[in-house]
Amino acid sequence: MTQDTVVLVEHADGKIDSITLQLLAAGRKLAAALGGKVAALAIGHRLDGISAALQGFGMDKIFLVDDPAVAAAAGEAQAWVISQVARQLDPRIILVGYSLIGMELTPAIAVHLGMNALTNCVNLDIRDGAVIVTRPVFDNTQHTEIIVDANDAAVIALQKGAFAPIEPSSHVTPIESISIEVENIPARSRLMATSSEPAGAVDITKAEVVVSVGRGIGSEEKIAVIADLADALGGVLACSRPVVDVGWLPRERQVGASGKSVTPKVYIACGISGAIQHLTGMRESGRIIAINKDPNAPIFQVAHFGVVGDLFEIVPALTQAAKALRG
Amino acid sequence: MNIIVCCKSVPGLVTDLKVGANGQSLQYQGQLLAINECDEYALEEALVLKKARGGHVTALTMGNIKSLDVLYYTLAKGADKAVRIDADSHDPRVASTTLATALKKLSFDLVLTGTQARDTLGGQVGIAAATQLGLPFAYAVVAVDPVDNKTIRVRKELGNGRYAEVELQLPALLCVQTGIQPLTFVPPARRIRARQQSVTSISLADLGLESGQLTPQGYRIAGVHPPKRTHQVELIQGSPQDIATALLNKIQENR
Repeated sequence: MTQDTVVLVEHADGKIDSITLQLLAAGRKLAAALGGKVAALAIGHRLDGISAALQGFGMDKIFLVDDPAVAAAAGEAQAWVISQVARQLDPRIILVGYSLIGMELTPAIAVHLGMNALTNCVNLDIRDGAVIVTRPVFDNTQHTEIIVDANDAAVIALQKGAFAPIEPSSHVTPIESISIEVENIPARSRLMATSSEPAGAVDITKAEVVVSVGRGIGSEEKIAVIADLADALGGVLACSRPVVDVGWLPRERQVGASGKSVTPKVYIACGISGAIQHLTGMRESGRIIAINKDPNAPIFQVAHFGVVGDLFEIVPALTQAAKALRG
Repeated sequence: MNIIVCCKSVPGLVTDLKVGANGQSLQYQGQLLAINECDEYALEEALVLKKARGGHVTALTMGNIKSLDVLYYTLAKGADKAVRIDADSHDPRVASTTLATALKKLSFDLVLTGTQARDTLGGQVGIAAATQLGLPFAYAVVAVDPVDNKTIRVRKELGNGRYAEVELQLPALLCVQTGIQPLTFVPPARRIRARQQSVTSISLADLGLESGQLTPQGYRIAGVHPPKRTHQVELIQGSPQDIATALLNKIQENR
């Protein structure tokens, strides 16, 4: 085993996902502390744009598996390809984004390589050669610290926002193509097509004020209370996943990992507990205000201002005050 | 189509949370166990597929005797059969190896499970078991469409509002996303009747698993604590009117 780190590049439609630049920052930190190298690995087809975009970040190497067979690969085949490459490189740490794509690949890569897998990590540190990660448990109300000892390897899936994006570097990274035996790629699942959520009536990503409602609202009729506040503030109504799952609001209003990421000037979370998947989509907002009756709700981990109380008392009062201000 | 639903039994409120003596698991005082919500969606999808395509649905869990309640609940919901592996581990490697070994002994076309458990928040076990069994898999599935007896087509989330259509040969394993079907209500009478049904119990010895074959992941849990906040939230108190005034100021000064 080397002390090297391999960062798995997440990309779509010829663009690198922002998580990748965060992973590269974590990779550089690991390489510096462990005395190893850090490399980026991208798999797919027609990766010229991806590799060019990666070159200015001071990695030691960029590895590409560029093959049409890989472009049609679904999760099983992708994990197989990544594992084939990892066997050749023998890294200590493989960094993956804890995105829906990374969540599919991480366990499979770890099984193929017989490596430890640590998912959902919010922090990563190095102490005396040991790699220490922090990850949430119990609905994000507690954190655990986990130590991967100096002689152990791991696939680590990091949450978005765990690291700031890597700074550009003047060092231009050499690119190396890796060929794999594509005829051996598992072919029991195939990617047939990709698509995007059709644009809906509202675009919650454009609003300066987002007022978001969670399962804490209790019933569909009561959503009007939150919608009134959004109107009074001149903002848009959004929601967390459970509200969409039960059919109270359409998918286009969903904030979070599988919905939309928003960065409004003001984000008001009403009755949202703060599952990780939700926090991922709103934690970069300018000012976060949370109203929740549970003082331990994880939403208060990211909120700047919080109210512990009954949203049916607070929200109508806030709506009234906002209306009075507008005149 | 014969479907196995892997469902985890998870505690509600836990107290006295601490790292176990071996540093490999967390210990806590748990309350009653309930079905992991993500896995309940997998059960709903299985029951919908059964209604449309025939076959039977088996609920499979790994856990101690307390997890029987969860299996009775799956039977009340409409599962035809329930199987409990009499073993307890929160380690993803132990859990996936145990489940994979049990799945090998059962017959199925499709395995469904959720995306993650609310206690460990790992999301590893389904895909890890599929990989050990050499099954194709898909994660965050939002629609399942059987093509024929040997193939299914699924729609899965890629994040940021993007989706992929994937075709998989059966047998396959899918981690379904929450909301794939609406959760149905089970009348209390049916839940009581379900407790008359038998649940198959399998031991690790039945599975031919020696303790040496079940190696946990090679890391140590060093601590567990409430999340450290990167910044302290400023709590606003007072009457609803006072709070409204204060909040409105905070909103206006940042616009």
